[in-house]
Amino acid sequence: MNPPAHRHPDPLERPEPRRSMVVCGVLGAAVMAAVDEIVFHQILGWHHFYDRSTGRVGLLSDGLLHTGELLALVAGFFLYADLRRRGALVPAHAWAGLFLGLGAFQLFDGIVDHKLLRLHQVRYGVDIAPYDWAWNLAGVVLLLTGLLLARRAARPGRAARTT
Amino acid sequence: MILAHIHPGTAAGPGLWEIASAVGALLAAVAYGLAAGRLWRRGDAWPWWRPVSFTAGCTWVAWAGVGPLPGGPFTAHMTGHLLLGMAAPLLLVLARPLTLALRASPPGAARRGLLSLAHSRPARLLAHPLLAALLDAGGLWLLYRTDVYAHTHHRPLLHALVHAHVLAAGLLFTFAVCQVDPVRHRRPPALRGVALLAAGVAHAVLAKTLYATPPPGTAFTTTDLHTGSQVMYYGGDLVEAALGTVLAASWYRAAGRARTRHRRRRPEPALGR
Repeated sequence: MNPPAHRHPDPLERPEPRRSMVVCGVLGAAVMAAVDEIVFHQILGWHHFYDRSTGRVGLLSDGLLHTGELLALVAGFFLYADLRRRGALVPAHAWAGLFLGLGAFQLFDGIVDHKLLRLHQVRYGVDIAPYDWAWNLAGVVLLLTGLLLARRAARPGRAARTT
Repeated sequence: MILAHIHPGTAAGPGLWEIASAVGALLAAVAYGLAAGRLWRRGDAWPWWRPVSFTAGCTWVAWAGVGPLPGGPFTAHMTGHLLLGMAAPLLLVLARPLTLALRASPPGAARRGLLSLAHSRPARLLAHPLLAALLDAGGLWLLYRTDVYAHTHHRPLLHALVHAHVLAAGLLFTFAVCQVDPVRHRRPPALRGVALLAAGVAHAVLAKTLYATPPPGTAFTTTDLHTGSQVMYYGGDLVEAALGTVLAASWYRAAGRARTRHRRRRPEPALGR
């Protein structure tokens, strides 16, 4: 970098808090979906590939979510690399976005996918209630962490320090 | 109901069409090698991995026709289609065959003809990412959700046509999403991403419905059906992730180049805000 760029901030190198948060939010949601796919579908085998009670809308939403997650992971990675390359990444906002994404996906999966669309359950052949509570509470905790981090990131003092 | 699925390629040995497709793939690989050799001899740069990629793609095409494929009849069929319609097209398209053909052909009628064909209106329309996605995924839905698939079992010509369509549609879709070869109208990355998403969704949903219900007019064992549809689902994921990476990486490089140009045009200190 040329030294003068610090005295006269380059318009191409402005920090972008909003974009940092959105990109990391997308990454967070995609990472959570990937964890779900790898841990619960493949390793533990708790989730079923196909549940007979799934309707047409459920199948479509599942396909959309699954492919979307895969592509979001790839796109998010390159968007993140681009933010870093341009020096536009704001870490505080990025962390907040990551947790918001993780929590939002976990909660969406627990309520919409498992309960409303009945794609599959957390586990089969057991009393499902504690599993559902644990699943959704984990989502709430992640989401609240994200909100807390977002509030801290939005504080003026903090923003001045990071930029 | 047909009780046993007799795949022309496995039961009675490879048929005439399967052998023809394998020979065709082999000839394409040889032609690519000769063209790349021509470029190297005259001192042009042409990365070594492109001929490797093209040869690997041709091998998969040939293998899908005549090679032994694992699992029960449905799983074997699905593995073959995954190789033919997704994996091979990616390897072939990344090798930039059109660019090579343009550079290796002597200047004159041949090169002009090829270029005007590539830049023609129908080619431009056909290479629209959304149309290519529709042809690719729509063809699959027609194959597995109508009687077409059952009919391919005792009609070698129809079987060969389906085989050819899967390869051609896969090539067209991969070409439209990656756009590594010269095309006159470059489509924005977002549009290509949407086409990739749409095709991926259609593919994933079809795979899940095949897990529960076999194509009409066929009967497979449950294990075979389940394995085959999961091969389709997760195998599709792998290739879609690779396509997404090619697309995202090309955006990343283009954005970097645009930034460098921007900086060069407008020196920083004078314009600092």
